[in-house]
Amino acid sequence: MVEFPERRSMLSIFIRRYCSNRQAILGAVIVGLLLLAALCAPLLTQYDPVYDQDYSAVLASPGGTHIFGTDDLGRDTFTRLVYGSRLTAAAAILPVAFAFCVGVPIGLYSGYKGGFIDQWIITRIVDALQAFPSMVLALALAAMLGGGFMNAMLAIGIGFLPAFIRITRAQVIQIKNLEYVQAARSIGCSDLRIAVVHILPNVMPTLLVQITLAMASAIISEAGLSYIGLGASPEQPSWGSMLRTAQSYLGTQPWVAFFPGLSISIVVLGFNLMGDGLRRALDPKIKD
Amino acid sequence: MKIIIKRIAAAIPVLFIVSIMVFLMLQLLPGDPATVILGQEATPEAVEAMREQLGLNQPLLIQYLHWLGNVLQGNLGQSLVDGTSVNDLIAERLPATLELAFGSFLVALLIALPCGILSAARPNTVIDHFCTFISLIGMSIPHFWLGMMCIILFAVELGILPASGYVPFFDDPVENLKTIILPVVATGFRESAVLTRMVRSSMLEVMQSDYIRTAKAKGLGERTILFGHALKNAMIPVITTSGIMLAGLLGGLVITETIFNIPGYGKLIIDSVFNRDFITVQSAILVSAVFVVVVNIAVDILYALVDPRIRLGKEGA
Amino acid sequence: MFKNWKKTVSIILPGILLMGMLSGCGKGSQKSSSAKNSITISLHQDPPKLDPMLSSAFVDRIVFQNLYDKLVDLDSKGNIIPMLAEKWEISPDGKTYTFHLKKGVKFHDGTEFNAEAVKFNLDRDRQKNSNRKGELSAVAEVKVVDPLTVQIVLSRPYAPLLSQLTDRAGMMVSPAAVKKDGDKFQNNPVGTGPYKFQERKKGNQLVLVKNPDYWKKGYPKTEKLIFKIMTDSNVALVNLKSGQVDMTNRFPLNEVSKYASDSKIGIVNQPGPGFKGIIFNLKDPAFQDKRVRQAINKVIDREAIVKVALFGVGTPGRSALSPTSWAYDAESDKPQAVDVEGAQKLLAAAGKENGFSFTILTDSDPVSQQACQLIQKQLKAINIDMKIQKQDFGTLLDRTQKGDFQMAYMGWSGRTDPDGNFYSWVYSEGTDNFMKYSDPEMDQLLEEGRSLTDQGARKEVYKKVMQKLNEDVPYIYLYHENNVFGLSKAVKGFTPVPDGMIRTLDMTKE
Repeated sequence: MVEFPERRSMLSIFIRRYCSNRQAILGAVIVGLLLLAALCAPLLTQYDPVYDQDYSAVLASPGGTHIFGTDDLGRDTFTRLVYGSRLTAAAAILPVAFAFCVGVPIGLYSGYKGGFIDQWIITRIVDALQAFPSMVLALALAAMLGGGFMNAMLAIGIGFLPAFIRITRAQVIQIKNLEYVQAARSIGCSDLRIAVVHILPNVMPTLLVQITLAMASAIISEAGLSYIGLGASPEQPSWGSMLRTAQSYLGTQPWVAFFPGLSISIVVLGFNLMGDGLRRALDPKIKD
Repeated sequence: MKIIIKRIAAAIPVLFIVSIMVFLMLQLLPGDPATVILGQEATPEAVEAMREQLGLNQPLLIQYLHWLGNVLQGNLGQSLVDGTSVNDLIAERLPATLELAFGSFLVALLIALPCGILSAARPNTVIDHFCTFISLIGMSIPHFWLGMMCIILFAVELGILPASGYVPFFDDPVENLKTIILPVVATGFRESAVLTRMVRSSMLEVMQSDYIRTAKAKGLGERTILFGHALKNAMIPVITTSGIMLAGLLGGLVITETIFNIPGYGKLIIDSVFNRDFITVQSAILVSAVFVVVVNIAVDILYALVDPRIRLGKEGA
Repeated sequence: MFKNWKKTVSIILPGILLMGMLSGCGKGSQKSSSAKNSITISLHQDPPKLDPMLSSAFVDRIVFQNLYDKLVDLDSKGNIIPMLAEKWEISPDGKTYTFHLKKGVKFHDGTEFNAEAVKFNLDRDRQKNSNRKGELSAVAEVKVVDPLTVQIVLSRPYAPLLSQLTDRAGMMVSPAAVKKDGDKFQNNPVGTGPYKFQERKKGNQLVLVKNPDYWKKGYPKTEKLIFKIMTDSNVALVNLKSGQVDMTNRFPLNEVSKYASDSKIGIVNQPGPGFKGIIFNLKDPAFQDKRVRQAINKVIDREAIVKVALFGVGTPGRSALSPTSWAYDAESDKPQAVDVEGAQKLLAAAGKENGFSFTILTDSDPVSQQACQLIQKQLKAINIDMKIQKQDFGTLLDRTQKGDFQMAYMGWSGRTDPDGNFYSWVYSEGTDNFMKYSDPEMDQLLEEGRSLTDQGARKEVYKKVMQKLNEDVPYIYLYHENNVFGLSKAVKGFTPVPDGMIRTLDMTKE
């Protein structure tokens, strides 16, 4: 089959372009730190995020043994943030993975085949899904699925579907008439093979940017759903749930709200910086 | 004309699918509305009587057609919780949300226009990077957390603004402004992020176009070029984005209204979801979706009218 | 063309929205800060239905106290006192109640209150779709003797009847208004109470005005009563501080101690009549063995729950009856020390020494969630892994009614008659018996409690009931919530009554 001898060098060009952007590096570092915290959570703290409840230090202010203070059950906020990074990482990955695995094949099919199903069913359903304000859709879906972290992930993932389908479809329509695809078709490759082996790799760069940005927005959506009370279960140290708890203490213990929100902001910023960096690195119009 | 008809024709099946989605989504909600309405003290007979009264014992299709038929006649149904007409409920909640949406949009414009134009006028300078960074921050800070921080600072610590609540404009204009300022800033900052980028890229594109180059060649001043020539054309896509943004804000203020306890449209939706008030949620979501679709059509049509390339050429894929 | 379009667009788009905004604005006219001749009270929830027959929410009852009078009322000690009925007699067999009604009482619509109206109301409250049906299930017939005398005939002796009539079942609505408005009555309520309904904005506020023809001369003393809906008690407190409201029906628990001696804000903090706790699904294999339930009961630290989740504002307890009840038995309510060893022995005897795992359902109230997390940790001590699943209250109710749960966190707002805290919960056919607890001895005791008329004898019966429940543990009683009201010091004349309602008749503002 057609091999791309220059792929390796393209990759190195891409890496060079990405790394020439300081903001992009910062983004990658933040995301890296999140993953590191998620992996090494138990090494970073001596407390348990759920069961170490200190009834004598409820809503303690930052400092001393609890550098970020404690929550309303006397649990160490720093510990919950560190363990919460696991949920945050999951919140970034799961909905996007769902939207990718479901949306991209549909987009590939729709764009490649065209015709009735594309024009009248898929496009219309995508349009319909896009007509809902995203938070309302996530809210209704999460409530319908019955709350809980995994259901929230699914709700957010469904909300991402239209974007993934649209982007894939638009790219496929552009690419499918290019010479090399025509060539593959003329030598008798199956449609499936053409779609997966020849078209998909060329759609990937655009999708990569979309994935990163979707991850950023997924984290915010998860936090939003947990804040409303449709996300993680109360003992789970989700950063959004921590904000929900903090809501009751805004007037008296404001620091409870401070750290989880700051963590969310930094991590989301990281993903956004990475997304921007990827876009620049992959955009042929922008010169080095 | 052709485009207008085509657009509207295309929207009808979309709206149809939207209505089915909304209906099915709510049918799948766990919890029996009759139980929910009657609460902890209800007797089983009362629950059964309530189910009968609500028509919940009829087949799904009948329930759907019944609802859709009424909606098409402009009757959005009656709240399951207290029997008020959903039309009234929505009309009651709309002013607050429209005010918030409009205010947020204004804040977004106030941030986005200067930032976007400055960035585009001085691409790749410190100013550009700064403005881009501000918009990145806007995208990254959860607006509800920003809202909470604003409450802590302005309501709790400084005590100069109310922490939450809403006073209608005509009851007391000063109080009204005080109550909406925090939610509007918190939401507007987020919305400004996308808009700043839009303004910047749109301006950049226009600045590279032939007629601007001609203007430059003619030796016109930068100010004249920027504001007299470029801005006008660069605004077209910005207006489009704005329209869609405003439409989305109708239902998109859910969390803002929750934090600040504002009896708006989003709060209506969320309260009704938690109350299992199916009819209200169904109709309220439908209305917000219809609003988005209609604004989209309007924007497409406007686009076609102002941009001769689209008007004369064929539609893109 | 091009130029014009752009301008038009930029004017029209915001213009339309602005117009929508302006035209949509309501007509509400009340001042932002509460005026002198009015009292503003914040409620934690919007009362869904202003019709006592349909009502199913606690908060409705607070508003009702002002719109509707009842046949009889409660005083601050929980004694039954006359209201629309000036006096009454109970036949020796306890099956006939004769009420003599107050003369010259009129509904807000000008129609006469009389025996016919009482019959209309009690019949209406007993029809199929009524939520009062259960409370009046013992009533066989309502007889009009003469225009001011009415008889309630029971099919069996039912001691809690008078107590029921101090609440929604005894509230009198205008028959004429019901006939006229039908389904719409709940949005246009008409009673004989000290205040008349004026207007409401859903989710925002409810305005009542003085009934100038109120039968108690010289009352009410305040012109206007405004209920503002503030779901967040912190918000309510902020408004109380700024004078936007004069009274709040809830108070942020974490702030109670701080305001104990405030110069502007007073707090009324008294035990409520209800209970909070956890229900077992006795059909679930994990909880069929009594010893398992007892073991769980033994390791739960009630004092810690009240101290942490309620900031000490509550009463730890083991009984369905709170200290406000005349049938209260302090011994069966006293929390016992946590006994991990004893619990382990019980578990071992039940063959569960290695622990097990299950899921508790809870509503989305922050206190419930905190309590569940505390219990989660406490159960860890006996190797029990409790998972927490949170649901909105409606779904929680639906699932527990259908038996689709293992354990659930659920309480009861409480009634002033002890029967109201037991019968529906632990009678084998009780409507709130989601545990599916069924015990012939218990059923017999509960029936006995209903049929006796002597309070002393009834108290003994309920003591036995509670002792048995503490042994069988179908439900773990954890604590009694307190009713905490925040009051501006300018407001005088508020007296708390054991039912937790706000009676505004004597309230004035300086």
